[in-house]
Amino acid sequence: MRTITLTDAIREAIEEEMRVDSSVFVVGQDVRGAIFPHTKGLVEEFGTDRVVDTPIAESGMYGVAFGAAQEGMRPIVDFMFGGFSYVTFSECSVTTGQYHFLHGSQHALPIVITAGVGTGQRLANDHAMSIHGTFAHHPGIKVAMPSTPYDAKGMFKAAIRDNNPVVIPWHMGIMMLKGEVPGIGDDYIVPLGVADVKRVGSDVTVLANSLQLQHALSVAEKLAPEISVEVIDPRSFVPFDMETLLTSLEKTNRLVIVDEDWESGGFAATVSARVVEQGFDLLDAPILRVTLPNMPVPGGYMEEYVAPNPERIEAAIREVCL
Amino acid sequence: MALSIDQKKSLMTNLIRAEEFNRMMYRRMMQGKLIGFYHPAEGAIAPGVAASTFLNQDDNLSPHHRGHGITHMLSKGIDIKYYLAEHTGKVTGCCEGRSAFHFSFPEHKVYMMSGFIGYNFAPAVGWGFAAKQRQKGQVVMNCSGDGSYGQGRAHEALLMAQNWKLPIIFFCENNGMSIFSTAMEMHPKPDISSLAEGFGMPSAIVDGQNVFEVAEACLEAIARARAGDGPTFIEAKTLRFNEHDIGTPDLSGWEERSEQEHAEMRAREPVTIATKIALEEGWLTQPDIDHMREAALREIADVEAFADESEIARPPVEELMQGVFAP
Repeated sequence: MRTITLTDAIREAIEEEMRVDSSVFVVGQDVRGAIFPHTKGLVEEFGTDRVVDTPIAESGMYGVAFGAAQEGMRPIVDFMFGGFSYVTFSECSVTTGQYHFLHGSQHALPIVITAGVGTGQRLANDHAMSIHGTFAHHPGIKVAMPSTPYDAKGMFKAAIRDNNPVVIPWHMGIMMLKGEVPGIGDDYIVPLGVADVKRVGSDVTVLANSLQLQHALSVAEKLAPEISVEVIDPRSFVPFDMETLLTSLEKTNRLVIVDEDWESGGFAATVSARVVEQGFDLLDAPILRVTLPNMPVPGGYMEEYVAPNPERIEAAIREVCL
Repeated sequence: MALSIDQKKSLMTNLIRAEEFNRMMYRRMMQGKLIGFYHPAEGAIAPGVAASTFLNQDDNLSPHHRGHGITHMLSKGIDIKYYLAEHTGKVTGCCEGRSAFHFSFPEHKVYMMSGFIGYNFAPAVGWGFAAKQRQKGQVVMNCSGDGSYGQGRAHEALLMAQNWKLPIIFFCENNGMSIFSTAMEMHPKPDISSLAEGFGMPSAIVDGQNVFEVAEACLEAIARARAGDGPTFIEAKTLRFNEHDIGTPDLSGWEERSEQEHAEMRAREPVTIATKIALEEGWLTQPDIDHMREAALREIADVEAFADESEIARPPVEELMQGVFAP
């Protein structure tokens, strides 16, 4: 199988869906010129009616997507950096999440919200924050994030075909990560709500996503002679595949959750609470979380030791396996 | 754009309906027969009627929150009984009793209400974007008050609508008040429509107490939008006779509005003004107008009976959870 980068995989998903469904379009700021490679070349094929640049006006930009979705179109709205979604957060969280349910579940709102997120570029908080946990807190919005090029293409296709708002950011730390992906036009999807066991092990389960999944896999490889680490990629946060996690814990009885979000109120906290509620008897050790400490993400050279990293993941694995 | 006699009669009919529906909502709130709150529309009913009466069903309408959009929705031909049932928490409500005061009639292209003032601006850009792409002459009637133009998203929508020549009518129902604060204090210029100049958007200021004058401006703006000539800003100068919502004090700034202010406002009552014009021009008689009111009252009796006879919505949580996501 050929290998392509994560952002090329996202672009292929968008291109292929735009070819088969004329209601799919992309709206954002400088998506035509492609400030990130996942929209590169789209305007040449699909024109400016379907690859739409707006002024720096996030509410109006998101409004194009929101209103067009109500009108039966299938917008992909690109915030460039995830933190920029906060500029229009009432629209893309509260009003988006409540639209279908509050109005009597009579009208679908198919919107894909994407953006680059995460640490690794030393850009500091507003350009480095993750958004999946915050969106996952708002009911009515599906939330997912790919960790490999294969997953990226399949999950973006699933998101574009979904009849709900789907927030699907991608991590800038793995934008050039290469991986095997079926050929152009070989249609497949990776369904939302299905986790993936990325490495089989027996001593401890590590739940990790995106860049941190890659970190977890490298740590698992390093520790293989002494500790057998099972690595699970949730892929989707909403809906979350609790069954795959509990099945793994039946075998390992130990859990480390790596999440590049703040410790307080984040997705790792939600999973931790659910495991305690639904799988307490499976645990032989306290659950440990490797997350961002509760400080705004610093830029510069501090980022590399403040954010979750292989050293912190290894330390947590060793601690729960003591 | 001059109105035909039939058009004037339609406006008169809807104006009287709007007046009686607002009275009904006010009365029910006082009787404890409405859920939540009610922002009465007395004195401010003409703009919504004028903006909505001549829309096609496939035109988008975002009603003003005053009067909870009823004056607009009934003028567009929406049966208010499903909204009253919603506002009384009933299973027959337009949102299955889940939404309190939020309305949604997707088949009439009145998609939503949000509790955030100015929420309408962002989706209106999207509706206009879709309408322009479809090229079927659909328009977006985007109604909101003077207060909503404080929102940055209003300015974003003006920018994008004019830049892309979207078929949107920015319909500002300027009653001079946002809760207690006056538009004079909150805006640097007396006319909100002066914002349009900065974007190169055509605009008009009309007497919001005269339903016919407002409708003429709306028809012109609608025709311009349908022809693909872009957006228009209409500012209807109107009045708010009552307090902001039932139960809050009736203040201007932090002091009671004066009796003199009330007396001056009530001299500009929209049904009185319209009636005078109709009788003077001779296209209606007083008995015709009385019949219109009787018909409105019969309609309201049916609407109230429908809501009152419907069951309260109390589905179990498990059932509600099934409605969070679309299939």
